[in-house]
Amino acid sequence: MSILITTQTHVLVQGITGKEGAKAARAMLDYNTNVVCGVTPNKAGQEVEGKPVFNFITEAKTQFPEINISAIYVPPFAAKAAILEAINNDIPLINTIVERIPIKDTAYCLAAAKEKNITIIGPSSLGFISPGVGRIGVVGGPLVNEIFSPGSIGVISRSGGMTNEISWQLRQAGLGQSTAVHVGGDLLMGTTYADLLRLFEKDDQTKAVVIFGEHGGSYEFEIVDLINNDEYTKPLAIYIGGKFANILPEGMNIGHAGAIVEKGKGAVEKEKALSDVGVMIAEKYEDLVLLIKPHS
Amino acid sequence: MNLYEFEGKQLFKKHGIAIPKGVVVRRGDDAIQKYNELGIKDVVVKAQVLSGKRGKNNGIKFCGSSEEVRTVCDTLFTINIRGQYVSAVLIEEKLNIAEEHYISITYDTNRKQPMLIYSQSGGMDIEDVAEEKIVKIGLDVRNSEITLLSTLHNDFSNENLEPIARSLWNCFLAEDTRVVEINPLIKTVDGRWIAADAKVALDDDAFYKHKEWEVLEPRTMLGRAPTEREIAVKKIDEGEKYYQGTAGKYMEMDGDIAILFSGGGASIANMDALLKTGLKPANYTEYSGNPPREKVYALAKIVLSKPNLRGLWIAGGVANFTNIAETFQGIADVLDEIKPNYPIVVRRAGPFEKEGLTLMQECAIRNNLNMKIFGKETSMSETAEVLAEMIKKK
Repeated sequence: MSILITTQTHVLVQGITGKEGAKAARAMLDYNTNVVCGVTPNKAGQEVEGKPVFNFITEAKTQFPEINISAIYVPPFAAKAAILEAINNDIPLINTIVERIPIKDTAYCLAAAKEKNITIIGPSSLGFISPGVGRIGVVGGPLVNEIFSPGSIGVISRSGGMTNEISWQLRQAGLGQSTAVHVGGDLLMGTTYADLLRLFEKDDQTKAVVIFGEHGGSYEFEIVDLINNDEYTKPLAIYIGGKFANILPEGMNIGHAGAIVEKGKGAVEKEKALSDVGVMIAEKYEDLVLLIKPHS
Repeated sequence: MNLYEFEGKQLFKKHGIAIPKGVVVRRGDDAIQKYNELGIKDVVVKAQVLSGKRGKNNGIKFCGSSEEVRTVCDTLFTINIRGQYVSAVLIEEKLNIAEEHYISITYDTNRKQPMLIYSQSGGMDIEDVAEEKIVKIGLDVRNSEITLLSTLHNDFSNENLEPIARSLWNCFLAEDTRVVEINPLIKTVDGRWIAADAKVALDDDAFYKHKEWEVLEPRTMLGRAPTEREIAVKKIDEGEKYYQGTAGKYMEMDGDIAILFSGGGASIANMDALLKTGLKPANYTEYSGNPPREKVYALAKIVLSKPNLRGLWIAGGVANFTNIAETFQGIADVLDEIKPNYPIVVRRAGPFEKEGLTLMQECAIRNNLNMKIFGKETSMSETAEVLAEMIKKK
């Protein structure tokens, strides 16, 4: 098994007629993921990669009621409307690749999704992949088969590039991934480390998890509570980037939007808190593989 | 983007929150003339910096004459406040204070919603206020009307705080902020509420909704005025090019190793790795997404224009959708022009990696550059060590 994707996954692509949307549809189909159709207002009747395009999700769902994931590829100013359309149509899992969504729009969508128990991965998430099962978005890019192979390690990363980088290091060490998720680098995350660790805990295929985290925000501290409550019991190794940021003034932001320098929320403080509950701490990101290999 | 107090107060005023009468003194302005314009004898003179704790750090002084004002202004313009550059000075009427309260709204990342935070103990850091003296109320960003505060908490009805809270919420939403904070919120002796300070952070991602933000002066939190190069890099991403990938992160530092990183995560991991080798970065720079050749060219040209560089590290992880050939072409264009003689290390992978690394190789050969090139088989941190070795040998 894997998390988030199964062989029963039926994917809708919002913004499929755009350059990035079309590329993503192609990337998913190339990886044998079941993209069934797309939506772009005023483009009904067209086809992209042989898949029909509808104006609205309601129309798409009439023909494809089995749609259970939407991948959203629209410009930032259209993101809120697109995400809400998916929520209003009860699509249970939404992957939002859109970067630079105003935080107010993100908060709006997350509040609406929560009421309906809908999962949003992102914003600013390039997607997720369960090797051999399918991928949502463009994770792995054209090198996907070089980087990913089925295995027992769950991967969670704030960074799209590092999702690949770490998965590739696992592969080089002879390990594979159960599911690799790019959660996105925004201040507000639709799905957090803790949310995913709960899913990995229940997943038989996953024996251990590695995380690429960053300074700023407080999501890593949720992991501490999770472990203390025995909601996550498998081996976990984490790398937290941005130790150098402690020389920067508070309030400054580097790397991703969520990587803000804050008192008590730096890479060092997070490592200390996690180490205290038994999480393995990687000094360099390359060390994640060394730490997790004995547990694979 | 963090606002200066005087800018934040103008937003508060726009939304109906009372602020003290005041004038802004810029560097080079005649402080006495400004003081006379204000026409109030007893004033408070405040350094304008991008983060707080001014009071404890000599950034706020009370004055009662033009001579005093001039002396204080002159001093404030020569100092840093906890590493923060003083960009201007605000002269304001001295208030007749009865009480100091605290109120703010900011996003709570765990609850993923804005929180209104209020305390009767204002005037000090909210982190130093006892938890039981702080009121926290979650707000729904979908609802611009908050009218229930009085029923939620006695303070809001007893103190008649509801109008202030509502104005602050309007300001938070309408101005696309990430933080609005009034500390202290003053209750004057004659019973009026006045915002004696303003801490406001704008959401950079909402820039396209706010034409008026374009006139805000360039700023950095690095304890100095932004450099020409920092301002120039910001311009690359402006206008319609905004969404074509980003080149917008350039922060000048004291070292001599030029940095061209790609990807937000890789870039912070690489900064850590670079510092570990003992090398010192001349800058922090990151381009992301899939920027076109011209954008990367413009960025690289600025990065490499810094004098006295001793090395260049071009590094990124295994990209998902960045076109390595296209982005590297932009860097190669600059290397063709300036042909640097310091060591260069390249590490990158992803779409069109073969073409990208080959064109770098060709660029090195035709310009006789001291360059080593790595793909994904070598980790990023290892290539930082390679650069350190090359510089040592030189």
